[in-house]
Amino acid sequence: MTSTSPLTRLILKRLLVSVLVLLVVSLLIFGATLLLPGDPARAILGQQATPERVAALTEQLGLDRPAWERYLSWLGGVLTGDLGFSAATQGPVTELLGGRIAASALLLVLTAVISTPVALALGAWAAVRRGTRTDSALSGISLVLAALPEFVIGVLLVVLFATSVFQILPSVTIARPGEPVWARPDQLVLPVITLALVVIPYVIRMTRATLSEALDAGFVEMARLKGMPERTVLLRHAVPHTIGPVAQVIAMQLAWLAGGVVVVEFLFRYPGIGQALIDAVANRDVQVVQAITLIIAAFYVLVNLAADVAGILADPRIRTSGGVAQ
Amino acid sequence: MISPTAAPFTRRRLLGGAAGLAAAAFLAGCGGPAAARDAGPPRRGGVLRVGVTGGGASDTLDPHSPATNPDIARTLSLYEPLLHWDDAYTLQPAVAEAVRPEPGARAWTATIREGIVFHDGRPVTPDDVVATFARITDPDDPKSGASQLGVLDRVVVAGDRQVRFELSEPSPVFDQYLAEYSCGIVPADFDVSRPVGTGAFRFEAFSPGQQSAFVRHDGYWRPDEPHLDRLELINFAEDDARINALLSGQVDAIDQVPLSLTEVVGSYESVRLLTSETGAWLPFTMRVDVAPFDDVRVRQALRLIAGRDEMVNQVLSGLGAPAADLYGRFDPQYLDPRREQDIERARDLLSAAGKPNLSVELVTSPIQAGTVEAAQVLATQARAAGVEIGLRRVDTSTFFSDQYLQWEFAQSFWNTRNYIPQASQSSMPDAPFNETHWDDAEYQAVIRRARSELDPAVRAQLVRQAQRIEFDRGGYLIWGWPDRVDAHQAYVGGLVPNRTGLSLSGYEFRKAWVAV
Repeated sequence: MTSTSPLTRLILKRLLVSVLVLLVVSLLIFGATLLLPGDPARAILGQQATPERVAALTEQLGLDRPAWERYLSWLGGVLTGDLGFSAATQGPVTELLGGRIAASALLLVLTAVISTPVALALGAWAAVRRGTRTDSALSGISLVLAALPEFVIGVLLVVLFATSVFQILPSVTIARPGEPVWARPDQLVLPVITLALVVIPYVIRMTRATLSEALDAGFVEMARLKGMPERTVLLRHAVPHTIGPVAQVIAMQLAWLAGGVVVVEFLFRYPGIGQALIDAVANRDVQVVQAITLIIAAFYVLVNLAADVAGILADPRIRTSGGVAQ
Repeated sequence: MISPTAAPFTRRRLLGGAAGLAAAAFLAGCGGPAAARDAGPPRRGGVLRVGVTGGGASDTLDPHSPATNPDIARTLSLYEPLLHWDDAYTLQPAVAEAVRPEPGARAWTATIREGIVFHDGRPVTPDDVVATFARITDPDDPKSGASQLGVLDRVVVAGDRQVRFELSEPSPVFDQYLAEYSCGIVPADFDVSRPVGTGAFRFEAFSPGQQSAFVRHDGYWRPDEPHLDRLELINFAEDDARINALLSGQVDAIDQVPLSLTEVVGSYESVRLLTSETGAWLPFTMRVDVAPFDDVRVRQALRLIAGRDEMVNQVLSGLGAPAADLYGRFDPQYLDPRREQDIERARDLLSAAGKPNLSVELVTSPIQAGTVEAAQVLATQARAAGVEIGLRRVDTSTFFSDQYLQWEFAQSFWNTRNYIPQASQSSMPDAPFNETHWDDAEYQAVIRRARSELDPAVRAQLVRQAQRIEFDRGGYLIWGWPDRVDAHQAYVGGLVPNRTGLSLSGYEFRKAWVAV
């Protein structure tokens, strides 16, 4: 292998495509916020807006400049780490979002760390016992969970554990001013479980499907015939075969989580970017909406990129020949 | 965008709301929360955590431009106006021990309460009061309190504890404007980053859109108040989250229980509902200067189409009282008329106006709980009279965009006010929010006389006359007075029904205490 191996080139190409995708997304986001009904200046000032205050704020926000000019200056700001000015807080967007990004990231990381091993283990278990009663029970439960929207799961958990049946867990997140969300871990339990219950079924089903396929494949049969112990057959031969597709599904689920937190944060009053997004849309706080949407999009693209790379690295055919996968 | 049959349910509402709350109602029976402890007698000390509806990143501590419910609750905790509306909606002294008109009512003199101090211990001086009103009416940056102070010319120091308000015209009801919560008295060197007032609670911490915390003002002038050591106000954007927080015991009180959920929430043993009659109103607004509403018969027909009892039942779940197109429910001169649904007469009026098959567009928006539902009920009722009301639903910020005050047929909401102050806000050519473009010459003459009439008996006569004119030809369709329903844990005491239309005893938490 040389320094620019086909593998490196493939990854670089994916990276370039990701940047282009983000650029297109930024254009779409900007275009969409132009279509939001209502005047941001009036939305901020509320019912009591006087014409002079509206005019002053419009100028301050630069709303009187042409759209392309605003887009370019916004894009330039994003590239230099300046996400703009929040009309609602009268301060920089980065200041508004700093703590909230950390709070949402905490929710995502906790969910991923808890749900991934659980889902992989359950999926593998079901695959090994495919056709048995445990397998069909697990399939049935994950199918039901997969069919429920996160909002319903969240509400049911609240009813069960916080309000009506048992009152053992907090139903909303309340942090004192200046206190980080992780200061009260019990408040994180229900949001994390809700997100985990939404993610886990898909990963279980995918793991079970790919692993079952691998376990029935000829090369696994061959390994068994060579007299290898079943444990080695499973871990050394079958499991590596499933890494690519399963990584893809986990990445898809993580990407979905970035959007799913909006609903869950709303339901549990969790002070993350999802709640900030809803608030910003209601307030016509355009630059905050743009910043959050772009962050979620960037996360989506990044996670997919990571899944692609994991898939490439795990698949010897692509790893060695380079140009097979597109 | 005209859709005569607007869908009442969204997918999220159907799935989440129905599944979750039905389950909540069902499971409430089998759960059995711990036995409720009652509030008992007033007790000094403790913390009260309150869930308040609304608010967001633009939350403010500014005493003179509160916009959202959390803003108003903070304003009423930190600051106090010269006068104050009590629970029965009568005027009581607050920072001022008295506010009296001079003969002719072209000037009023306020006497500051003896010994009253700000949170930092400094006494309230006449200079502070003068500076407060200069801040509110600052021509470069008028605060929301300014719109009611149009007649105020000058404020001057008139003694050790006296301040004189000089008016541009006689105003025998000027003291009512001084009692609005957006006229809180602050020190002359006030800075919003150091929010100091005379209110029962002193500022401690604030994160916009999230939470604010206050501690007891030890120098507070009302004896024995506040009972609490600490007050925390927590924003809630979402109804379900707010109710869940109460039911799981994370907050001690919440404002605004949705009227359709009062039975579910009230079924919990540990929770008490606080229901207040209010003078708040959710009118339909008809612009009297555009067709078809420029024809008084069309306005009268629409008012006769509205079945008010049915609207109170369907929109407010019966928690409210029918109204009859007049505001000022708690004004001593309120006429309290009735107006029953009369489809036959409505049809006759429309035929006489040459519009037997009237078709109009109603702009509706969730500007307050119940507005969209009221529009849907009215549209249904109108069909019986052959009137087609197309609903155009817009979101709140579109509703209050530059088209606000221009909509031809729309909705609005107002809190409790007496008749003349309300007319000055919404029914006069110089009113800041004349939603109906009401320009009746006879009415204006009556109100102008009433506003400056010094003889209470004559003024009462004029106010009744103005109400009769508005009842006959006005542009408002006022169908009901919604009750305000709040909820608190059984161990919270001191919160009583309040007529102002503000939640939780008028957000006056100085009255509240918590049992051990």
